[in-house]
Amino acid sequence: MGSAERKSARSGAPAPLIQVFEPHKAQTPPLIPYFKEFWERRAFALELARFADKAEYLESKLGKAWLVLNPLFLSLVYFLLVTVLRGGANKNTGLSTLAHILIGIFMFYFAQNIISDGAQSITAGGRLILNQAFPRALLPFSSSVRAFGQFWPTIPTYFAVVLIGKIFYPKTHIPLADWNYLWAPLIIAALAVTAFGLSLIFAVMNVYFRDTSKLLTYTTRIWLYGSPVLWKPEMLHGWHRIFIFINPLGPTLAATYHVWIDGVRPSNAEFVGMGVWVILAMALGTYFFTSRERDFAVRI
Amino acid sequence: MTSTPESIKSEVIRLGKSKPSTTMLDAKGYNGNILLPDDLAIRIEDLSITYKINVDTKKTLKNAVMRASKGEKVRMRTVEAVKRVSLDIPHGSVVGIVGANGAGKSTLMRSIAGIMPPTTGRIIVNGKISTLLALGVGFNPSLSGRDNIILGGLAAGLTRDEIESKTDEIAAFADLPDGFIDMPVRTYSSGMYGRVAFAVSVSMTPDILLLDEALSAGDAAFKEKSFLRMRELVQEARTIVIVSHALATISDLCDTAIWMHKGQILAHGEPGKIVEEYLKFLEVGTLPSNLEDM
Repeated sequence: MGSAERKSARSGAPAPLIQVFEPHKAQTPPLIPYFKEFWERRAFALELARFADKAEYLESKLGKAWLVLNPLFLSLVYFLLVTVLRGGANKNTGLSTLAHILIGIFMFYFAQNIISDGAQSITAGGRLILNQAFPRALLPFSSSVRAFGQFWPTIPTYFAVVLIGKIFYPKTHIPLADWNYLWAPLIIAALAVTAFGLSLIFAVMNVYFRDTSKLLTYTTRIWLYGSPVLWKPEMLHGWHRIFIFINPLGPTLAATYHVWIDGVRPSNAEFVGMGVWVILAMALGTYFFTSRERDFAVRI
Repeated sequence: MTSTPESIKSEVIRLGKSKPSTTMLDAKGYNGNILLPDDLAIRIEDLSITYKINVDTKKTLKNAVMRASKGEKVRMRTVEAVKRVSLDIPHGSVVGIVGANGAGKSTLMRSIAGIMPPTTGRIIVNGKISTLLALGVGFNPSLSGRDNIILGGLAAGLTRDEIESKTDEIAAFADLPDGFIDMPVRTYSSGMYGRVAFAVSVSMTPDILLLDEALSAGDAAFKEKSFLRMRELVQEARTIVIVSHALATISDLCDTAIWMHKGQILAHGEPGKIVEEYLKFLEVGTLPSNLEDM
């Protein structure tokens, strides 16, 4: 349907498919048919993600191993940096710092990939936008699917590192099997949905200002330093804790630390923070994206 | 056709020679009870498409900030791509659209496909649409022809099962040399690339096929094959709308033609006659005398 209003009516056999294209009211397409078609065309987004991955790693010797190696090496670099800045680490805190940085980096890069790839998805999909009718939100959604495909192999990698660490340092408190891990899918889902909502906003901004995606590279780096990834959430006290909650990824990353490193349930404030950011990001992202969709075909 | 006051609807042009049907189809579920005669594939009602384009050469955040700091507004230009077009296209018609660059041909095609929504007016389409507005849409040059057929088919709206069941048929139609179907398409010649793209589009047995300059894909032999495939689609009572600067294609393939000029339909009728008038316009640069008041 693209960005136009489209409704279908099927009756009898062979069924006529009547589509009606009309001006958008208040520049937003009717959302029920829009999401219905979004759901019907999801296979396109899934395959687009799969084929994009296939194309990217086709000629790489290590292939998809880079999906794990990239964040793993990055985590090790940050671990060295953090321990050097601290003036070294003892064997117990060293492992928990490594584990925290590992899961924090894996989670943060999952969100960052959703946001930065999603931001470029519309401008990069210019030929599709100009020549095929489909809900445009499928393109950033495809980027999110691809980011998830790159993210999930890092989870077994995390457990492998912790398992090896526990063999050498059995007294470490980092949980390997704990009931609180049941919160992990919820936290990952909250992170993905928040990042997807933000990617919708940045995708539109990138259509209007092409250097948005380049700015994002630096913005996300600062965002990483401002998030509880290289530092523990408990390091902020009193009113300073507000910095965790005004960060769209802050409550999710703080909850990640508590579940994966402390082995405890996320706090109620973190649940509320996650919920608020999920709703805000999706509501603002969906409105901003769908209300500007009409412009994409003429601005690309 | 003369320009009309805003309050009056533009004249409806009915293409084809058959008499209008009185049996109406109801777009059920649509608010406002939309009815469409069952012999029509496309009805365009008083369609206008206007959009604004940013004429700044550098669409950067830096430029935007600099402009804002000086209190300058973004330099926008309003483009009236299609102006008050009303058109009925019956099923089984092969309609050619001619016109100079910027006449609104491609915008009209995109609006029929649902890619660009109308600014005012309405388009009602009865049938499954397939578009071939550009070659290789959705294709990834690093992937094989087979993968791209799947990707192209999914982009065009087919399901994974549908496109997989047609992959061999599409590959056969594209007539690639042995083994090429499993090679990356960046190793293809432009002709081979075009043939795969064309094959994907016409394999979908659409009710309505929208083509923009696509017949130029491939060599002479493939052009002939494409032409025959188009004829097959016509014989199966498919509706085809072709935009082309290849006027011989319009004359040979179409049973009716329209000439667009500055977003409006300037003339319509028998393709040979329309092409002749259009050629005169291109040579002399003046509009036919009866159309000068547009």
